[in-house]
Amino acid sequence: MSQITYREAISAALWDEMERDENVFLLGEDIGFGGGAFYITKGFQEHFGQDRVADVPLSEAGFTGAAIGAALNGMRPVVEFQFADFVTESFKMIIDFAAGNHYRNNGPVPLVLRLPAAALVSAGPFHSQNPEPWFFTTPGLKIVAPATAYDAKGMLKSAIRDNNPVIYLEYKKFYNYPLDDLPEALRLDVPEEDYTVPLGVARVLREGEEISLVTFGTTVLEALEAADVLAREGVEVEVIDLRSIFPFDKGAILESVKKTGKLLVLHEARKRGGVAGEFASIAAEEAFEYLDAPIRRVGAIDTPIPLSPPLEKAYLPGTDEVIGVLRELAAY
Amino acid sequence: MEGAKAQASGIPVTRGDFARLDYFEDLQERYLSIEGLEARWHTIEALSLGDDHDKFMRLHHLVSLTRAVEETLDSAFRSGHIPGTAFFGRGNEAASVASASCLEDEEWLIPMHRNCGSHLAKGHPAASIMAHFFGRAGGPSAGRDGNFHMGYHPKKITGLISHIGTTVPIASGAAWAEKIRGTDRAVLAYIGDGGTSAGDFHEGINLAAVKQLPLVVIVDNNQYAYKTLPKEQFACDSIILKAPGYGIPGYLIDGTNALLMHKICGDALDHARSGGGPTLIESVTMRITGHSVYDKFTDYVDIEMHSKWAEERDPIKQLDVYLLKNKIATTDEIGESHARARKEAEKARDEALKSPFPDPRTITDGVYAP
Repeated sequence: MSQITYREAISAALWDEMERDENVFLLGEDIGFGGGAFYITKGFQEHFGQDRVADVPLSEAGFTGAAIGAALNGMRPVVEFQFADFVTESFKMIIDFAAGNHYRNNGPVPLVLRLPAAALVSAGPFHSQNPEPWFFTTPGLKIVAPATAYDAKGMLKSAIRDNNPVIYLEYKKFYNYPLDDLPEALRLDVPEEDYTVPLGVARVLREGEEISLVTFGTTVLEALEAADVLAREGVEVEVIDLRSIFPFDKGAILESVKKTGKLLVLHEARKRGGVAGEFASIAAEEAFEYLDAPIRRVGAIDTPIPLSPPLEKAYLPGTDEVIGVLRELAAY
Repeated sequence: MEGAKAQASGIPVTRGDFARLDYFEDLQERYLSIEGLEARWHTIEALSLGDDHDKFMRLHHLVSLTRAVEETLDSAFRSGHIPGTAFFGRGNEAASVASASCLEDEEWLIPMHRNCGSHLAKGHPAASIMAHFFGRAGGPSAGRDGNFHMGYHPKKITGLISHIGTTVPIASGAAWAEKIRGTDRAVLAYIGDGGTSAGDFHEGINLAAVKQLPLVVIVDNNQYAYKTLPKEQFACDSIILKAPGYGIPGYLIDGTNALLMHKICGDALDHARSGGGPTLIESVTMRITGHSVYDKFTDYVDIEMHSKWAEERDPIKQLDVYLLKNKIATTDEIGESHARARKEAEKARDEALKSPFPDPRTITDGVYAP
């Protein structure tokens, strides 16, 4: 057991899976010789060779398609996108080819697409996006969003062993987050030995009786911070990290809502068209009689992601906004 | 050699005028000095089939069966048995069969929507193909998709999607898997003349070239991308001129000539299997049909030119004549091969029509792989 960073956890999962299964191979821009834009695969090529840690020409659609072809032919490719934003280049390959292939042709596509996602200090409109709404409506895909080093490692192992295409969102903000600065609930020991975290199971980060706060990804930070403030005001908020966006843990959401009677769904992605709408709808449809207040959503505002610090701050959902909504719910 | 003379006297070649039967000679004059490019036209030589009578007859039967299956499907569409639409490869039968029959059982085929012959040559049963067209449970997609959007994984044939161009990167990846595993297997893929304009064509070929992947890509230049002609699709005289740009060999061949395709594709696959990297083959044919069964193509094609191709360059007639002339088969044997093909196609249709429609209760089955 040890405390390692989120980035080290992802590297460890990749390394372990490559040692475990020779069909696992990595491809992406700059990942071999250069070790990747975020140094996730630093030192991998020296150990595993150029065939299994492959640099590719700048061609997201092409190398995503090639990963699908390799998966059809028995491999388990793990594709690194330099930034999640560039996945728009590959939509047809993911949504039209990979996602439905098993349904149409009875052929599994075991494929992991690693997407470094979300905002990080003025990265601007094309290096900051949260891509899950783009994929959420497509059957055949799994979408996961680990927020802790423990989950990053265990869920990446599960994703690699899964026989379906998995969109693995990894958060740049967490890569090198100082361990000492992390809230207690996120600072989990990471085993060196093999373990997996199942896809589709939420984690309760903090128990509470009065309001359910369902979230995932970077906003677990704002959620925990806001819950601390509310606790000091005498309101116990239950914070649930979904960890997996599809399949998602419907049972965990409903169970919590039935207990608290109040629900806030929070994510960094824009509120309009964000996946919070689906979770809120499910609570409205299936736990209506338990609700004591309107379901609330908090997400980014309805603009492109601006670069300049004050604009970026205004764009992103912040702890103050979450606290404000929690107070309204508490008073309702 | 009228075209070559025209070139010699300084009259420029009309860009992409593949419909002219002498266009090839113009290209030969112009480009064959480029290293790595080769063109074969109007000739059948150095056959890799040797004089193996059975091999010739198997090829003949598959080419004939391809046409019989497509004609049977066409009439089944007219009788209302095909939901949606259907695409056929009339004029492309020889190129499909002759290329795919160069593959070993364990090698992957990445087909397009006019490669019925490739499916048959790779071992996809005609009755399964037809059940797919009829939207039946017995087809390889069990009614989830139709027409030539189908894969057949038991015989290592991938499916395809409507987004033209995507087959090339998929094929590169399948070939990449062979290279990583260190096998001596190659992969064969198809794309059309229209597909070469798609970015995916470039990305897929470039990746295969950079990684020296064991891949053969056949561009079926059937001179129409729906209603668009090659001259509106690309500005060079032949698609193989792109091959030197990627640093790979390219062949321009007459795609109506089964034996020529068999030889060239077989050599290119051997080159790939022995670590030589990818090859691009432009196979010039003529789409003697509409884009789909709904396309009234007679309102935009040059009917006279079409008839000329159907008459002079029909791939099946050419094969018949070759086998007779070289005394490889008798008139009776050829007639028997055609009759057997028709009978097989009808039997496959009857079998496919007996397959039930899918049960709506199965609609959610298989969205995710176990």
